[in-house]
Amino acid sequence: MTIIEILSLVLLGTGAFFFLAGSIGLMRMPDRFTRLHALTKADNVGLGLIVLGLMPLAPDVRDALKLGLIWILVAVAGATGAHLIAKRAVRDDGEDSH
Amino acid sequence: MNHDSAVLLAWKLFSRSLLFAGIWMLLVGTDPLAWIVGGPAVIAATVASLKLTQVTPSAPARTDGSSLSWLELPRFIAFFMWESWRGGLDVAARVMRPRLRIRPGMRIYHTRLRGRPARVMFIDCVSLIPGTLSADLRGDQVSVHALDVGVSLDADLRRLEERVARLFGEALEPQPATASMISAQAGEGGQ
Repeated sequence: MTIIEILSLVLLGTGAFFFLAGSIGLMRMPDRFTRLHALTKADNVGLGLIVLGLMPLAPDVRDALKLGLIWILVAVAGATGAHLIAKRAVRDDGEDSH
Repeated sequence: MNHDSAVLLAWKLFSRSLLFAGIWMLLVGTDPLAWIVGGPAVIAATVASLKLTQVTPSAPARTDGSSLSWLELPRFIAFFMWESWRGGLDVAARVMRPRLRIRPGMRIYHTRLRGRPARVMFIDCVSLIPGTLSADLRGDQVSVHALDVGVSLDADLRRLEERVARLFGEALEPQPATASMISAQAGEGGQ
């Protein structure tokens, strides 16, 4: 195993840990808002680490950049989605019963 | 439309279609046939982005806020990644304990950011820094859901706001006009 592969493995493992933490948060947190906290933050870091871990293993530069782009797009979509779900919950217009 | 704004519009059209074409190429590759889908997608994205960042006529002229500073971008990305890391660690540490360490509650933060792109950037980043989740935006009031109301979020939010302002080339008012930037709001969120 080369040093790069070891580094990748460490990053991938840490990323997986954050996804696990996000899922545990999703199950343990008491309400919508706190669940969103767990999901957006933990998954953002988890995916970032997975992407960083995969980048050195990518066959060419384009694939590596593509992974980076995917992280950016998912981060934007995740944060925006969390805001919209929270907004819906906070305005509480009665359409979402518990 | 005067000459200057026509040049600006042409420049925006050019730079944004180039950006979206670049993103398309990165995602799909260089296959020329793919441009049958990619071409319309790039045009639609360019038009949508121009429409969405348009300054409303009623707003003062200085509120454009879409002048992203490319020089500032690398520093913002570094800041963002560091804050994301802190946010992830914080929430992981809270949920992995035998007893959840949370005291959730809602706060109001008055943002000094004026431009719409800057505000969207701000509320998205609020959800990724430690302990905060942006829940609503009405006027300049951002409802922030805090994971732990025992910790003051004021400094963190203000620092993020200043970073976003610098990224979009906005000058923030000196502040603090109001003593309580974050004021308590009745009602816990959720069930």
